Amino acid sequence: MRQVAIIGCGQTKHSSRRRDVSVAELVAEAVYNALADAGMTMKEVDGIVCGNMQGFGGVAQPDLWLGDWVGANNKQVIRIATGGTTGGSVGQGALYAVASGRFDVALAVAWEKHSDSKEAGATTGLMHVGAGNLFLALNYGLSLKNLIATTAVGAAAGVAVYQARCYMHRSGCTIEHLDMVSAKARRNAAKNPYAHLQWPNCQPEDIAKTEIVAYPFRYGHICPASDGASCIVVAEEKIARKKCKQPAWLKGLASYSDEENQLQSEGYGGVGVIDPSEQMGARMSAKKAYSMAGIVDPKKEIDLAEIYQPFPSQELIFSERLGLFDEGTAWRYMEKGETDIQGRIPISVSGGVNATNAIGSSALQRILESALQIMGKAGEHQAPKKIKNAIAHGWGGVTNYITVTVLGDSPRR
Amino acid sequence: MAYIKDERPQTMMLDGSWAVGAYRYKALPLLKEFASALKDKKILGSFCSGCGKVVVPPRNICGRCHQRMDEKIVVSELGAITCFVVSPPVQKGKYKLFGMDPVETGILKEGEELIPVFVRFDGSDANVNCLLLNADPKKVFIGMRVKAVWAKELKGALSDLEGVEPLEK
Repeated sequence: MRQVAIIGCGQTKHSSRRRDVSVAELVAEAVYNALADAGMTMKEVDGIVCGNMQGFGGVAQPDLWLGDWVGANNKQVIRIATGGTTGGSVGQGALYAVASGRFDVALAVAWEKHSDSKEAGATTGLMHVGAGNLFLALNYGLSLKNLIATTAVGAAAGVAVYQARCYMHRSGCTIEHLDMVSAKARRNAAKNPYAHLQWPNCQPEDIAKTEIVAYPFRYGHICPASDGASCIVVAEEKIARKKCKQPAWLKGLASYSDEENQLQSEGYGGVGVIDPSEQMGARMSAKKAYSMAGIVDPKKEIDLAEIYQPFPSQELIFSERLGLFDEGTAWRYMEKGETDIQGRIPISVSGGVNATNAIGSSALQRILESALQIMGKAGEHQAPKKIKNAIAHGWGGVTNYITVTVLGDSPRR
Repeated sequence: MAYIKDERPQTMMLDGSWAVGAYRYKALPLLKEFASALKDKKILGSFCSGCGKVVVPPRNICGRCHQRMDEKIVVSELGAITCFVVSPPVQKGKYKLFGMDPVETGILKEGEELIPVFVRFDGSDANVNCLLLNADPKKVFIGMRVKAVWAKELKGALSDLEGVEPLEK
């Protein structure tokens, strides 16, 4: 496998309503920014891997018509859609394409524009994705009360709230710790000019004042629905060395799926055999990616993590599943400030998905933000410590599909 | 340059009906079997000869070991809660689902606190997502023993299993 690196990163400002641009214009903004960052032109790009979450944004299959807006004329285009993990799969698709030798330079482009549908992520989003799975049960006499209260409880928040409850039961973490994680995300986001929910000096007490949505989640815990796009420029070794002073090298990558553990769609309300906080897919992906990267002890060798955490409990769960902390202990380290931007292992210093969630783009942003930290280009939210290895995580599918990408400041040996 | 510049209060509306019964492509014969067994107050699961697990409701293929799960097993109507969520009191006009207000349509009651739970019925290894009924939301805990609540009139439909209730009150 060839050495591959990320040499340019571009994203758009994220907000709940980018009404000044269409989907295509929004995506083009990210592509221009990434090419400018890499000091390249579209002529030097061989192919494009793109995607947004299927069924979102109120615009059908934008990849079919926005190609020319991202400079794809006479270039190869691949669309990937894997639910919430889409961005991670798009990023990995571009990395694989260059590593295989098929492309020398590839763009990974991912986006979401929630505000194009009236009820962001509802009528055209998760409801669209879930309707086929849920409504079939009505044919077998599922009562509407049960449909509302169980199967359709609050879309992704409903899925994650069970996961949070299981995790809290296992680990002893409390709702106050979730307040701390969300406050940290808002504070970090305030330093990231592209982030959505920015709240300088946000404290856990501020989050604790918000209304309970479904215990243990408060309104302040939940991610926004953002409009935004992101793009990375991926290049093979020679070009990377020539074009970029400090590329972010690909060290390891993996994506594992697990048994569907919630909304088991073949049954009506069966939720699988396993605890939704178990996340075997994340454990397996991390294991595989670390072995490819030559990382033996992630606790010592990983310097920074960008975790896909639309809900604060997930930052804690996944940081453990990725081997950064022992099981059930992440909240203790978070409490001590070890995951702060100044801490021993900064986690989601960009504010993460909890502060910015343009779903299709979210997992690509984790790769992008990790790359920025390695390249030293993160600006105000640059972690003060030297970042040698960073891990980027994506979560999606039907809560069971994971992407893990390990980036480093030197090529893989 | 752009084409959607006008800010509209909402997307244009078209009246119509949504044939939810058209979602047939995944409707497995298994679900029918499960529903008809409920008429006899039997909760069906499927047994995996690969890992020995019993999954409720039954499915064809084991999620982890990919073995076919041909054997059906009746599991107990008693079980334990493995996870639960308590909703805030339901309010009229607070939210809409599928375009309807659940309170207005009489599906939910004003002020009702819903407790969706995962239940592991004895003899099974799966979590079944259903409602905990006749319980105090403050007294629910993981590991709580529960039993199935059956509809007064059994029809061989999923609604026959209304939910579960605490074994000890």
